[in-house]
Amino acid sequence: MILNILIGIGIAFFGFVLQTSIAGINRKIVGRLQKRHGPRWYQEFIDIFKLLSKRSITHGWIFDFGVIMALGGIIATAMFMPLTNNFLAFENFDNFFIFVYLIAVGMLGMAMSASGSGNPWASIGVMRALTTMLAYEVPFLIVVLTIINLTGNSSLTEIMLYQQASGNNWFLIALPIGGLVGFIALMGMLGKKPFETYVAPAEIASGPMVEYGGKQLGMLFIMNEISAFIEVSLFVHLFLGGATNIFEFLIKYFVVYTLANLISSVNGRFKIDQVVKFFYKWPLIMAVTQAVIAIYFGWVI
Amino acid sequence: MASVELLILFLVGAGVIAYILTRFNTFLGSIFTIFAVMFVFVSLAGYGFGMNMDTTVNILPGISFTETYLGFYFAIIIVFVYLMVSFFHPYYLSEYKYKNSYNLLFLLSLAGILGAFYTDNFLNLFFFFELIIWTTMFLIPQGKSKEAAVSYFGFSIAGSVAMLIGIFITYNVSGTFSIYQGLAALSGTNAIFVFVLFIIAAFAKLGSFPLHIWLPIAHGNAPHPFSPVLSGALVKLGAFIGVLALIRIAPATGLFTAMDLPIGQYVVAILGSMSIVFGTLMAIKEDDAKKLLAYSSMSHGGYILVAFSILNGIAFAGGFYHILAHALASAGAFMAIAAVARATGTTKMKELGGMIHKMPITYLAYLIAIISMAGIPPMGGFISKWLIFQAVIDKGMIFVGIAVFFGSVGSFLYVFRPLAALFLGQELTEYKKVKEAPLLMLIPTFILMGLNVYTGVFPGGILKFINNIIVELGYTGIEVSTYEINGTNGILNPALIGLIFAVGSGIAFLIFIVLKKSRKVELMDTYTAANFVHDEHLLHYAVDFYAPLERLYEKQSNWMTKFYTALAEKVRELGKLGKYLFMSKNISTTVFWIVAIIIFLLWGEVL
Amino acid sequence: MLSTKYTEKTKLTKDEIDRKWWEVGDYFRRNSLWLLMYCTGCCAVELPPSMTSAYDMERLGMGPMATPRQADILLVSGYLSLKTLRRLIYTYEQMSEPKYVIGLGSCPINGGIYHDSHAVINQLDQYIPVDVYVAGCMPNPESILNGFVDLMESIKNKTANSWKKYRDNNEWYKQNQKDALGEVIIHDEFHE
Ligand code: SF4
Repeated sequence: MILNILIGIGIAFFGFVLQTSIAGINRKIVGRLQKRHGPRWYQEFIDIFKLLSKRSITHGWIFDFGVIMALGGIIATAMFMPLTNNFLAFENFDNFFIFVYLIAVGMLGMAMSASGSGNPWASIGVMRALTTMLAYEVPFLIVVLTIINLTGNSSLTEIMLYQQASGNNWFLIALPIGGLVGFIALMGMLGKKPFETYVAPAEIASGPMVEYGGKQLGMLFIMNEISAFIEVSLFVHLFLGGATNIFEFLIKYFVVYTLANLISSVNGRFKIDQVVKFFYKWPLIMAVTQAVIAIYFGWVI
Repeated sequence: MASVELLILFLVGAGVIAYILTRFNTFLGSIFTIFAVMFVFVSLAGYGFGMNMDTTVNILPGISFTETYLGFYFAIIIVFVYLMVSFFHPYYLSEYKYKNSYNLLFLLSLAGILGAFYTDNFLNLFFFFELIIWTTMFLIPQGKSKEAAVSYFGFSIAGSVAMLIGIFITYNVSGTFSIYQGLAALSGTNAIFVFVLFIIAAFAKLGSFPLHIWLPIAHGNAPHPFSPVLSGALVKLGAFIGVLALIRIAPATGLFTAMDLPIGQYVVAILGSMSIVFGTLMAIKEDDAKKLLAYSSMSHGGYILVAFSILNGIAFAGGFYHILAHALASAGAFMAIAAVARATGTTKMKELGGMIHKMPITYLAYLIAIISMAGIPPMGGFISKWLIFQAVIDKGMIFVGIAVFFGSVGSFLYVFRPLAALFLGQELTEYKKVKEAPLLMLIPTFILMGLNVYTGVFPGGILKFINNIIVELGYTGIEVSTYEINGTNGILNPALIGLIFAVGSGIAFLIFIVLKKSRKVELMDTYTAANFVHDEHLLHYAVDFYAPLERLYEKQSNWMTKFYTALAEKVRELGKLGKYLFMSKNISTTVFWIVAIIIFLLWGEVL
Repeated sequence: MLSTKYTEKTKLTKDEIDRKWWEVGDYFRRNSLWLLMYCTGCCAVELPPSMTSAYDMERLGMGPMATPRQADILLVSGYLSLKTLRRLIYTYEQMSEPKYVIGLGSCPINGGIYHDSHAVINQLDQYIPVDVYVAGCMPNPESILNGFVDLMESIKNKTANSWKKYRDNNEWYKQNQKDALGEVIIHDEFHE
């Protein structure tokens, strides 16, 4: 048990390092896209450690408690994440719903802490974040419903193995419409640009993060990186057939995140009601169509 | 051996004593009530789990009892909620107009509950239901409005009438009033009739779409300590009838082959889904914290209906577990709001703010309750939602799935709103002198917090008990070991999740503590784009919290209310017609109509 | 040959350890400077070019931030009227330590072309301490970036201590601020 927990902590730490490096590399890529030189690839690490070294302010115990709960919840979620189909901390317990709902503890902690700062912008940001969540979760979960219904198992490892079995395709290919919906939902989860409404630095002063500086902000950055790791890994495992070894995982991960980031860097920002309308129009219709086709007609490529 | 009959008689007697005691001293009477309820709870818990209750009847005429796992499960949950709430009585009763009768009616309704869940006779069931409805109807208007009681009563009666007709049809078919024999004897069209009638009764009691209008009115305006009972306990009566109809009757209609589900069940599942979506949307919009929680009860009622209409063991386990989890969570949340209302005199979120600084324990109670309500681990709500999701996914119910997922994510939104607007945010000047709730009120708060966590971390024992109910209903139970739950498509280990969450928080805490200590600043010293703001109210974001989202369905949101207003108008017109015909000043008209109707009835009889 | 005599291990004192950590922290701090742009005057137009493709501030690890809580540098770009000064001080005090101030243009140095205006202060460092001045009216992007590099150098040499100065000489600064702004009696948020 102790060993498993240590492996879990290792995975969470690995996720942090991986996502932070890849986010740094992506900053460079976006820089090149805009004909800039771009920052160093390890700039994200420097940013986080700098924040941790500063002397911050606090608005009372709930402000700190929320941050601890946020980071704790996200670390806990990451500890369940399988990296490849035989490297994971707790075998059989990598149930899909753990990731969706345990991640919510982290989000709730952050929302609580932000509202506890007493800043109206923070509350507005939280409101937008929750509204965005309401928008992207439903189409995404419908697609996942299809996947679980087809595989008959909600454990991520089993879903990976199902896709790797001969005769089966990656779900991105087997369920093309659903895969597209999954990717759009992933953009929403990551807070990438058309759906970045809840951060909106120029509009609501970076939303939930408005009152943070120093170590609290640093911890929220760590939380943000790890949650991005969870979300992208989910996509890789659900739609791209998971990974048999760590290099495959790294490549798929990098491709997915970079693609999301590239799309993000050429987009503007939706208003919050546009986000909701958008997700409840096309992605939802597509997800339902895909589910009906796959479950009731059994047409899976 | 505790006898059900004696417990009921004890409650009636205790009610009378409580009435007299409250007359002299409110505090004393309420303390007596606590002990009376505690006695009932302890004897029920002591003997009921092993099915050792004495069900013989010696004194009461025409009443018979039997013992079922199903009835006991409901009874123990409801009695527990009653017990928790009775701790609040000493601090609230003195405000009410008819405080003497409050404890009496409270104990009488509890007697009705015990009877309703232990009886094996339809007429008894109906009698006890009426007892509950009539006693609680007089409790509700002690809060703010009489209208609340009227609408509660109206819908309850509609449900009761539907049930009564169903009972008569059953009697007609089977010739017996016994619940289990009667329901077993139903078949064909009769079964469908009774099914529909019972479902109407269940919907009315559960406050499900489309019979939900009374729910927010009654919950919102009921006395503060009574709202937890309404939401945590009384609406569960509807679930009980729902179980009878959906599982016991289960009429043999056509099957949806894709989902392997009878059409009747599927229709109920769809209505339950509408209830989830509707309740969620209305809760997001609501400004009164109690009404918000009432709408959330409506949406959770939808989950229970969905669970019971998917006919398999895992869904039933989810449904029964949800009844428990929601009873605990909503009792916790309503009681936290009641404590705030006692301190500040309002439940309107736009008038409140920053209560956490004065009432931290109440805040924690609310936090834990809503985590469970939103179905987030490591609390009880997660287990039940997980089981329900398993069943929904396994059956491939896409449209129900949309509603279930929507309600689950939507619940993050509405439960967060009181948290942000009422407890967090700026500390408003008018509430600077507020104090934390007194110790006696904190006792149930702590117990509920503990149970919410317990149900989320160690569900094994409870699920094993639920398995008994499922087997009793004729289905196979789910596989549960001490720590693990085996779903149809996955294994869950809630204790592991709890442990890992603790480990994660521990790491986060370590990171937090080794770094430099932060400087404490005032709440008002906050980023305002360098503007000087001196009024807390201007920095408190509480009004129209989800305005952009609400705007999207603003126009559609009140058509149900409009429908019922129109219906009430029609009923009133009908009443006017009746009054014109029978009660007009002109006696000969009245006599004419009465004679005409008698002739008409006799004619039907003779021919 | 090694001495057989026992030499006491040199144990680092707490101050020394703190200093070591501080140096480590300084590396991160100087490579990740986040700006809060207080665009008070016309110098601000020079910031977009220094941020975007042409000069690309991000390669130094710098970038704009939304709120004072998150930022490290308070960038005062141009002249400061008295009304803005009050807000500037409020903002400065909200920033988390260590914090640095950069003054752009000649206006914050000595008043520039507004030196005789009744509404504008002449020397910024009378009111809040300044780490780096970038002279010019207006300074071009090269010199602005040069100013940033200077700040990094001085963080490395531990000479960027303005925030400590503000703490140590707080009374003096407060007195100057009061003299310039005068006491205000506040009735509500719209009438100061
Ligand atoms: S230094 Fe020149 S350009 Fe800058 S603010 Fe002053 S007058 Fe404007």
